[in-house]
Amino acid sequence: MSTVTTNGITLDLDDIQAGALYERPSPYVGVYLLLRIRDRADGRDLVRRLHRLANPAGSADTPDNTSITVAFTYHGLKALGVPQESLDSFVPEFREGMAARAAILGDTGESSPEHWEEPLGSSDVHVAVVVLSSDAAQLREAAEKARQAHAQLPGIDLIWRQDCYQLATGRTSFGFKDGIGQPSVEGTGRPSMNPRQQPLKAGEIILGYPDETGELPPMPTPDVLGRNGTYVVFRKLHTKVAAYRSYLRAKAADRADEDLLGAKMVGRWQSGAPLALAPETDDPELGADPRRNNDFTFADDPRGFKCPVGSHARRANPRDALDEDGSVDVRLHRMIRRGTSYGPILPDDVTEDDGADRGIIFVFAGAHLKRQFEFVKTQWLNDGIFIGAPLESDPLVGARQDPGSFTIAQRPIRRRLQDMPPFVITRGGEYCFAPSLSALRWLAELDT
Amino acid sequence: MTTQDDGAATQPGLMVGPTSEFSLFFRVKPDQGQSLRAALLDLQNTPGYRPGDYGMAIKTIHEARFVLFDEDTRLAFITSFDGPWDAYMEDFFTSGPTIALFDLIFQHVEGYEGLPDVAAVKAFVLGAEQTAAAYARNYGGTVKEIRKAQRVADAFQQVLDHPQAAEALEHPALQPLLDEAAD
Repeated sequence: MSTVTTNGITLDLDDIQAGALYERPSPYVGVYLLLRIRDRADGRDLVRRLHRLANPAGSADTPDNTSITVAFTYHGLKALGVPQESLDSFVPEFREGMAARAAILGDTGESSPEHWEEPLGSSDVHVAVVVLSSDAAQLREAAEKARQAHAQLPGIDLIWRQDCYQLATGRTSFGFKDGIGQPSVEGTGRPSMNPRQQPLKAGEIILGYPDETGELPPMPTPDVLGRNGTYVVFRKLHTKVAAYRSYLRAKAADRADEDLLGAKMVGRWQSGAPLALAPETDDPELGADPRRNNDFTFADDPRGFKCPVGSHARRANPRDALDEDGSVDVRLHRMIRRGTSYGPILPDDVTEDDGADRGIIFVFAGAHLKRQFEFVKTQWLNDGIFIGAPLESDPLVGARQDPGSFTIAQRPIRRRLQDMPPFVITRGGEYCFAPSLSALRWLAELDT
Repeated sequence: MTTQDDGAATQPGLMVGPTSEFSLFFRVKPDQGQSLRAALLDLQNTPGYRPGDYGMAIKTIHEARFVLFDEDTRLAFITSFDGPWDAYMEDFFTSGPTIALFDLIFQHVEGYEGLPDVAAVKAFVLGAEQTAAAYARNYGGTVKEIRKAQRVADAFQQVLDHPQAAEALEHPALQPLLDEAAD
């Protein structure tokens, strides 16, 4: 049995799905599949087959890091015949689903569920299967196994498929290296890339273990269904790359200024080098060095002269920037994040929209939908109350119906970007639950 | 803003602009009125909480008051908080010195089991919350914005005290400041 003990916490890694806990390989290719269960018996057969394919966190990595992760929506668990008492024991946000939370999440206007890509946000979405691999051939093989698992079952429909990838550079459609700054988790045996931050309590990510408050996260019943599971959020986010580049070009004095404005908005240079450590110019060596590119805090820069207080990276992970407020504990608002790209990269220097759909599949894994994903989205990305700028939202990913502004602290006079349109549109998403392997067996063997 | 929690709860606390009201009502334990008054006096004398200190542990509340009423058998705690306070409930109990200060006061009211059971404390506090029937504010802005505005206003007065202030404010870019300079 594979377990790692840290600070007295022993995680049952043989029971936890690897995809819920670990970073993906980089670079990689992947595919997201959404399935609908029309026949309960076929649904349980599907779960039985997927159980054989899902990777436990404790298994040795394959050379190509190929993994299959399985998760269910509320409607999916219902379609499998999970008893109502058990369905009712899930947290309300999961039971409602992402589309019902749209107004809270800022998914309004162009991002509202009525404009979402079908079938996202509908009660037809039951099962999510994610296949990732660092090798395209291995991905095809694993995806074929996943396809066979559902294609031989007439009561199962494949209703959505999304290919995704991460480039070798780690850069997403906006051109910035992503995926830096992940928290480490007690009991996983994976070291932290930020020596300044203690690993998170396991219960922040996996159900059934104490979290940062010292309590067990709310867990659905029965125990076998909830323990070692985690909530997973995925969102398909269309990125308006041409509009973003045009905006920067219009506001910047020259190309170097464009790079600087982009870095100020993100909080990092395109290479991934953090402004906190490289405030003046990009430092690609720093950006590429995982031992250094996450090794910083904001305490020495309270006014944001190096890294603006409203920049994306500082909003999404304020580190120690809010420690003096006395009202927020940033460790309650961490998460496992996986941004993966979809669609063709817009060639460098193109500022005309080519009409292609491109963007990010954002994935969250954590034990608390409300105080992790929803808190960060609503309080830190969509709002600016916490930094004393209620009218500003995240310059890159913030939801805004009206053009916004972004303040860059600099001497002698602050710079303020005005008339900033939204650069990200929500195409849809779901709240899912990635159960443990023993819960997958329990689901397959339901006899309701 | 409301949430749809199976017919439960509208979001607790009314908001005006970025600020929400937060009011708690407790019953004082029998014969503890006097000791509670003493505990509140101790709080009042804590650095940061003394009148004029303007240095409460929570930097995102505008003001706070404890009111004993009904012959010291009831206690109210009433404040205004930047942001929707229910989003921050768990943070209150794991960050900063706030919970230790409150612990000394809550010991005198009914239903309080005490630390270290944070979940029980949270349930106890939420159980005492009453959403206002009406809430109005006379200025917009968060505490962080107000503090910035005060620093800017002080700086402006220093500028006006300079012998060449009138001349310096003649530049067209400074017209909005000149408009505020006459009184």
